[in-house]
Amino acid sequence: MGIMGILRLNTHLLRLTRDKQETFLTLSILSLAAVLSFATRLFSVLRYESVIHEFDPYFNYRTTKFLTEEGFYNFHNWFDDRAWYPLGRIIGGTIYPGLMVTSAALFRLMWLVNITIDIRNVCVFLAPFFSSLTTVVTYCLTKELWDSGAGLVAAVMISIVPGYISRSVAGSYDNEGIAIFCMLLTYYMWIKAVKTGTIYWSTMAALSYFYMVSSWGGYVFLINLIPLHVLVLMFTGRFSHRIYSAYSTLYCVGTLLSMQVSFVGFQPIQTSEHMLALGVFGLCQIFSAVEYLKSKLNKEDFEVLFRALIWAIAGITTVFAAVLTMSGKIAPWTGRFYSLLDPSYAKNNIPIIASVSEHQPTSWSSFYFDLQIMVFLFPTGLYFCFSKLTDSNIFIILYGVTSIYFAGVMVRLMLVLAPVMCILSGIAVSAMLTIYMKQVDPSKVADKKSKKFDSHFTMKSEIATAFVGMITFLLISYTFHCTWVTSEAYSSPSIVLSARSQDGSRVLFDDFREAYYWLKMNTPEDAKIMSWWDYGYQITAMANRTILVDNNTWNNTHISRVGQAMASPEDKAYEIMKELDVDYVLVIFGGVIGYSSDDINKFLWMVRIGGSTESGSHIKETDYYSSSGEFRVDKEGSPTLLNCLMYKMCYYRFGQQFTEMGRPAGWDRVRGAEIGNKDFELDVLEEAYTTDHWLVRIYKVKDLPNRGTR
Amino acid sequence: MTGLRVALVALVFLCGSSLAAPDVISPSLRVKQADRLVDLASQLVKINTQMVFENTGAEAARYVILVVDEAHTASMAYINAILVEPNKGGVKPMKLVETTVKGQERSGHRFYRVDLKTPLSTGKTVTITLETIHSHLLEPFPKEISQKEKQLIKYTGSHYIFSPYLVVKQKTTVNLSARNVESYTKLKPVSQADQSLNYGPYENIPAFSHDAMVIHCENNTPFLTVRNLQRAIEVSHWGNIAIEETVDLEHTGAILKGSFSRFEFQRESGSGLSSVKSFKTILPASATDAYYRDDIGNISTSNMRVMSDAVELNLRPRFPLFGGWKTHYVIGYNVPSYEYLYNSGDNYILKIRFIDHIFDDMIVDDAVTRIILPEGCTNIKLKAPYAINRLPDTLHFTYLDTKGRPVVVLHKTNLIEHHIQDVEISYTFPRLLMLQEPLLLIIALFLLFVLVIIYVRLDFSINKDEASENRLRIAGLVDKVLSHQLKRMTAYDAYDDQLNKLRQIKDLNSFNSSLKSVTSDLKAETQAIADHQTKLKSDGPELAEKVSELQKLDKALKEVLAQQQALYVEKLVPGKINRTAFLEVDGPLVKKKSDIREKISVVVKSLQH
Repeated sequence: MGIMGILRLNTHLLRLTRDKQETFLTLSILSLAAVLSFATRLFSVLRYESVIHEFDPYFNYRTTKFLTEEGFYNFHNWFDDRAWYPLGRIIGGTIYPGLMVTSAALFRLMWLVNITIDIRNVCVFLAPFFSSLTTVVTYCLTKELWDSGAGLVAAVMISIVPGYISRSVAGSYDNEGIAIFCMLLTYYMWIKAVKTGTIYWSTMAALSYFYMVSSWGGYVFLINLIPLHVLVLMFTGRFSHRIYSAYSTLYCVGTLLSMQVSFVGFQPIQTSEHMLALGVFGLCQIFSAVEYLKSKLNKEDFEVLFRALIWAIAGITTVFAAVLTMSGKIAPWTGRFYSLLDPSYAKNNIPIIASVSEHQPTSWSSFYFDLQIMVFLFPTGLYFCFSKLTDSNIFIILYGVTSIYFAGVMVRLMLVLAPVMCILSGIAVSAMLTIYMKQVDPSKVADKKSKKFDSHFTMKSEIATAFVGMITFLLISYTFHCTWVTSEAYSSPSIVLSARSQDGSRVLFDDFREAYYWLKMNTPEDAKIMSWWDYGYQITAMANRTILVDNNTWNNTHISRVGQAMASPEDKAYEIMKELDVDYVLVIFGGVIGYSSDDINKFLWMVRIGGSTESGSHIKETDYYSSSGEFRVDKEGSPTLLNCLMYKMCYYRFGQQFTEMGRPAGWDRVRGAEIGNKDFELDVLEEAYTTDHWLVRIYKVKDLPNRGTR
Repeated sequence: MTGLRVALVALVFLCGSSLAAPDVISPSLRVKQADRLVDLASQLVKINTQMVFENTGAEAARYVILVVDEAHTASMAYINAILVEPNKGGVKPMKLVETTVKGQERSGHRFYRVDLKTPLSTGKTVTITLETIHSHLLEPFPKEISQKEKQLIKYTGSHYIFSPYLVVKQKTTVNLSARNVESYTKLKPVSQADQSLNYGPYENIPAFSHDAMVIHCENNTPFLTVRNLQRAIEVSHWGNIAIEETVDLEHTGAILKGSFSRFEFQRESGSGLSSVKSFKTILPASATDAYYRDDIGNISTSNMRVMSDAVELNLRPRFPLFGGWKTHYVIGYNVPSYEYLYNSGDNYILKIRFIDHIFDDMIVDDAVTRIILPEGCTNIKLKAPYAINRLPDTLHFTYLDTKGRPVVVLHKTNLIEHHIQDVEISYTFPRLLMLQEPLLLIIALFLLFVLVIIYVRLDFSINKDEASENRLRIAGLVDKVLSHQLKRMTAYDAYDDQLNKLRQIKDLNSFNSSLKSVTSDLKAETQAIADHQTKLKSDGPELAEKVSELQKLDKALKEVLAQQQALYVEKLVPGKINRTAFLEVDGPLVKKKSDIREKISVVVKSLQH
């Protein structure tokens, strides 16, 4: 019966017209790809639970919760007193609200029809959901650029590309999760606008640009890429009325809309990152005016006018720019942007930027790790684009070339590179297969002319078959690679650590949540917690306590102050802690289980950042190295290190603890050394809580002693 | 909370006093023999007093008065009286009615009247056991201890059994949880044995006597209190009952003083004796899909053991609970509804526990149970085993709800294990309403498909797209040609069949008659295709050419068939030809036929694309 059914379906399918067959195939491939891109991101949910990952997502989760509970206006005016004590933080004006608004809207919509889903689950599954949408939009974009076959290949590729999965697995509730969708949507609209030159499409592009601006700071890349495209079109003599109307509309509407996001504010007309867009907009007007005049004037008159205009405009622009920059109206180049252009800039000048691992330059291996065969298909795709140069292909070439540069500068920008890699690889695979698939069965080639021409080649069919087989093999290996990378590298929530025990079973280290929950349940509501800024978002979100510094590293001096406290000896640190009203101090210590990204390994950054401001000028990095210039925690280590607050908090009573067979007590499994300072008591702190595996240690700051007791 | 409790007590008092006249303590009754067991082995104080009442007067007594003294009333969670009848074999629970007593209206004691089935006549005795359980009566002393210290508690009671009657002879046994007793009041005769203290016998103690008894001893059993319990029971008529409990837990023993040292806690066995690392929760035997989580996710440290009569959950909070530490968690599971839900027609009865076991010797300060009934329930009635405060019903909205599910909200304070009893909720639910949810889904999907169909089939564009319309028209024509061609081919198949039959049976008459319909079919189809061909000529000349090719091939096929027919009719049937000669002529014809058919199918395929 089943076979009969399939047969009947089959004959039915065959009876469909070619158009219908194609639609059917496209739809089924696309929906399968969309489902796949959702499903492949669920490893962590299945393996652990539906939980938010990492650090920033916890902040986003907390703000989303606030938004759903309190409504948009309260959210917009939210002054958060739980962070950056005693400064506080204006949340509404310092975030891109797109992400929170999106999930709150989805949440409301579902509750409207009585789908009583938890807001946490909305947040957890938002990124996979949006990557499904990205798959669809990639298809549309590639279809516009090349053809629908390439679109399908690109869509399938982007659904599992690790470079994108790394930031969009379930639970990784971050801006990037939806921003890539917005970006590709804007590109799609832009290509449509370029092709048609209609105001409709360019307004749509502006609207999706607005969505992009409201959701991610990476919109700067977009607002520079599109003007660059226009500029290149101008230079290559492809500038036309279509481009003119498309860009003018996009720039005007898009800029106005983007200024509605309060975090962006007046930046689009003040900061240098946005100047290219403004400049190109002006250039468009001048170019069109010149074209118009050219058509009306004779040649000599035009020459005179043209020269005069050029000089006048150039002069006025320079003077204006100089005046505005000097008066501070145009913001100087910000550090983050400098570090994009010059990889060594941040490292040399701003320690806090350099200390973030995702701001490090990308290593070659990670290109292959995140993109696999696309590293090789990318140039092929570029070749095909060059061989069939159109307005839209120039765009994708520019996108590819610039993003590969930026991805090389900063690891996290791999995310921007991944989609264009998929698009170009899709084009490459599709174009090559279109050539070779025809030759697999030469008898089918109906065209007599080509038959004659091709008959010079021998074994054409065999070569074609081998080539198709090779591509198939590559694509299959890509699939396996992506699945493996996703499952092994990008699907751990980092809030729960797991390890294999000796008998092969899985051991969970849930110490972070243990500590945060302890803080939540057993400390006073208004307790102030000092910790290094990495853990700030998690503490506010999970423990709901006031913290001094968090991952929104907006105030360098404040972070520096915390760094100074950690790097100072106990008495000095006590002064700083009392000055900052600290009640509890939280440190991460991996010495017992061998968790390497703990606070001792981050300690040098604390010293550097602590020493980078005036009040911490007495803290010098060299003091924390041993005489031979090494950073070590054993007996050889520098006495400054062995007596600073961070060291004492991490190793308090650790000197008696046995961690490994055949090692002395106090053996630090991360550093691989027996600690140098074992027997000490804490004067101004007392141990308040230490988690099961010593991963998180919380200390209570003692009150000032009563007068006369000493 | 205590305010509310007091108010409740006052309310009960008022009701009692207004309904009935105060009872009288009969002077002729006396307690002949009393044995009291005070159990201090857990965080609860369980007092069990067995009293033998004797009537010394002339008049038969219809009731006896039992009393709980002032110091014990506020903490009393549970009271029960049992009639002990050894000769009739067993015990029987008795009804306790709270009452007031003449002359004692102002006192804080609580009086209960126990009516006797058979009045107690002169000289007769009756044995009654009074069982009371008190929460939060044990006081940690000292209030704060360090991690190394043991937890000590202080119990303050009375050496004498508090009774409204004269007690002739009495004895008290106090059970402790450990041997270590710091101090105890020594009203002789008294003795200490292992883990218990024995007071008495004391003789002829007058009514309402009180003599302070203070016991200060070690007790490291878990002092855990559920400050707030939210229990939600969601009933589905599709066979499942989902239960979720939100628990606010606090360690109410001696508060931890100073620092917590993980090192000592892990290494030294005597460290943190009074702390609670884990506890056992017992779920119903049919419980499945249990989960244990809190605000920030799953609590990975728990074990589930399925036993024959229960499911035992070994719950470990995220951190060990020391004195004064709190935690909060959610536990949930599903049970099949057939064990709890009974019906006759449209009338249903739900019998489910008001609260369930959380840990042994538990104390629940405040419990709210929300019973979510299916949408469309009416006529909801509650039958409770003990006094439960029913709050106003609310509505609950979840998947596929339209007007909301009725929620019965029940509230009670100060509960212990003895309160794990069934409440009965009866309601009416028209069974037809079961169809509402599937119908809702079907309608929603149907509407979606209708919308899609409308969107796809109708043209919403303002301007006309000539090219695509033209293409569609041609496609339509080609479709028609193809379907006619299909029919024509079936007609040919029939023709072939007839010829075969003719060759075998050689029945000319039946052949001729059935051939008639075949040929007319063929004619009609060919004509129809020709019509479409002319239409196609103007729109798609290429396709029209293909169709004309089709027609040519068709003609050829027809000719071959006609030749074959002639061969059969004229030579084979009359027997004018021998076998070899026939095969010689017929063979090529058959081959030609199949050649043409193949050609036709090629053309048809090219038309399909």
